Amino acid sequence: MLVTLGWSRFWGRTNIRRYVWSHLAILGDRFEYRGRGRELLIGFLLALLLVAVWIGLMWLVWLYVFHEKPAASFGMFDLFSLSVALIGFPLAYVGHYAGLRYKLSRTRWRGIRCGMAGSAWSYGALATGLHFANATTAYLLTPLVSVSLARPRISNTRVGTLPFLFAGRAGDIYGRYIGYYFLNIVAWIVAGIAVFAAVGGTIESLGISSDDFLKLLSKPSLNTVLLVLVLAFAAYIVFGLLILPLRCWWQAYLMRYLVTHSRAGNVLFTTAITTRQMWGFLVLNYLIVLLTLGIGWPWVMHRTMKLISAQLWIYGEPNGQEIRQPTDRSPGYGEGLLDMFDVSGV
Amino acid sequence: MSIRYFDGESAEVHSVAVRVTTNELVIYRPAGAEVVARWPIGEVAVLGDVQHEAAPPVVRRGSDARLIIEDPQVRSHLASLVPALQPLVPQPVAVGRRIAIFSAAIVALVGMFWGALDYGTEYAAPFLPHSLQAQLGETVLDDLLADKEECEGAAGLAAINRLANDLAREAGYRHPITVHIVEGGPVNAFTLPGGILVFYSDLITQAKDSSQVAGVVAHEIGHVVHYHPTKGLVRAYGMDLLLKLVSGGYSDMMSTVGGGGSLLLALRNGRAAEREADSTGVDLLERRGLRADGVSSFFQQLMEKEPKDAAAAAGIWSSHPPTAERIEATRRPATGRPAFSTAEWQALRNVCK
Repeated sequence: MLVTLGWSRFWGRTNIRRYVWSHLAILGDRFEYRGRGRELLIGFLLALLLVAVWIGLMWLVWLYVFHEKPAASFGMFDLFSLSVALIGFPLAYVGHYAGLRYKLSRTRWRGIRCGMAGSAWSYGALATGLHFANATTAYLLTPLVSVSLARPRISNTRVGTLPFLFAGRAGDIYGRYIGYYFLNIVAWIVAGIAVFAAVGGTIESLGISSDDFLKLLSKPSLNTVLLVLVLAFAAYIVFGLLILPLRCWWQAYLMRYLVTHSRAGNVLFTTAITTRQMWGFLVLNYLIVLLTLGIGWPWVMHRTMKLISAQLWIYGEPNGQEIRQPTDRSPGYGEGLLDMFDVSGV
Repeated sequence: MSIRYFDGESAEVHSVAVRVTTNELVIYRPAGAEVVARWPIGEVAVLGDVQHEAAPPVVRRGSDARLIIEDPQVRSHLASLVPALQPLVPQPVAVGRRIAIFSAAIVALVGMFWGALDYGTEYAAPFLPHSLQAQLGETVLDDLLADKEECEGAAGLAAINRLANDLAREAGYRHPITVHIVEGGPVNAFTLPGGILVFYSDLITQAKDSSQVAGVVAHEIGHVVHYHPTKGLVRAYGMDLLLKLVSGGYSDMMSTVGGGGSLLLALRNGRAAEREADSTGVDLLERRGLRADGVSSFFQQLMEKEPKDAAAAAGIWSSHPPTAERIEATRRPATGRPAFSTAEWQALRNVCK
């Protein structure tokens, strides 16, 4: 269902979810996905409407604030793209939360509806603020951001009347993060030196002086372009081999921490996901989708499900009688914003 | 017979058995035969289907209660007794037929869209309001000229604008033409939507005589009167839209590959447009009784400077037809009035000073 005419994707995605959900079971009972393609379509149309309204608003600003005068190569299109970048960032987070809420509200286990409390807008504000702060402090706040954003997502999750609890604290994982942070810097330096040495060596072995080389670059022939592309790809591989495993090492640690600090009533969760498995999840899956032009996506789904079922361990059995059907209403439509910014995997 | 029943009020698991009477589905505990629930046959339904779900739940309409039946034998037994439970039994799916219909529909849709784009723009572009085209052109122009010096010689600009507008009127084009001259190189000129021509001053200073510049002006007017720039833009946006539709916006790789396809299409259209502009340009000059050998002699000069015909070597990757072919197609005798008066030509040569 990947290569499909755009509009059918809502129904395709719904079918895929029904398949995935019903093949995952906890304590012998399968999950159910009861969303409708129509709901996704409505959500998407609403998001489209939101963007249309925003375009109109920016048009008015252009007319009445800037009086149609471009100032220093700042035109209508710049104004629009800047404003979209500004609202797009927060809205993507809002959409992420709203999308989670939608998916949970359409998920049933033992006939009991799951759900998510909390406000998507305040999550969006929190996420925007934290990410901004993180970016301005050289990403030293990453553990704080990860934990602070995991908390609302986990502790607002409910299976019927049973809430999830999250007991993580950023302080617990700072040690590992600082280690990762400086190892990462070292890795970039090493990778940089390796790439420069390789490029320099190639140029020298081809017998080209640096002047000639610059001349070649300023008047590129097809061969030069190809050579540069090959070198860029090689550099990408070197960086990928050094930088990405390190990243997976940190991500696996973070995942283990977040999962083991979550519980639902007397049900405890844990995982021992390894760096290697995280590599398979983050990098291999990406490569599979990329190299098969998206056709390999079902395979990636299958790998992901297998990883979850192998690596999410559950201890304790909930008292079924105490988990009641929730009485609140669930959202009427789904995921519009999320779909708009295309960050939803499934 | 392992059937699990959930009452829809709590997550408690009930292991049950099911019995079908004439008008009821009776759910009971196997031990002690205690009845858990009675569902009227008319209210029984299956949510989802076996193609997508491993165990589609059996429900009573309007309630959250569920029966989960994993055993295929039990499913087909119940389905034979209750028609509403038919979805529990896998139905044979004509996969081949479905794929065929789907592919045919997609191919037809893409083909229609492509056709509409390729031929539709050909006829629709001239009907786009001129003001809109001009606005498009000016936006692009502002972008292109942001860090460039424009030449302001009034007499020179007047001369080239006069010729451009004369030629456009000759072709029956009803809107004004504006020519901009940018200081420096490359030796080139191009046309933007809305009758905006941009010349680089190197083209004027390196031209052997005024007929070459007139030839290039005529060629660009050829683009204008055939609405090539507007068509190009519409096609580019249309192709982008088509790709998004086909790929569902999912795969970046897909759009990269597709982008290559639309580039090839744009280049093919480009070559056709160049030929059209060449012939229209020469034709316009002849109709006004002007010297029309400038186009071919301009190309001749290009060939002499760079004997390797880049366009011919690039083949389908070229936006322009092979230069030799264009020289042949536009060759005309050096007769007729000069397009610029001597004073005009002097002014045009000095337009950047």
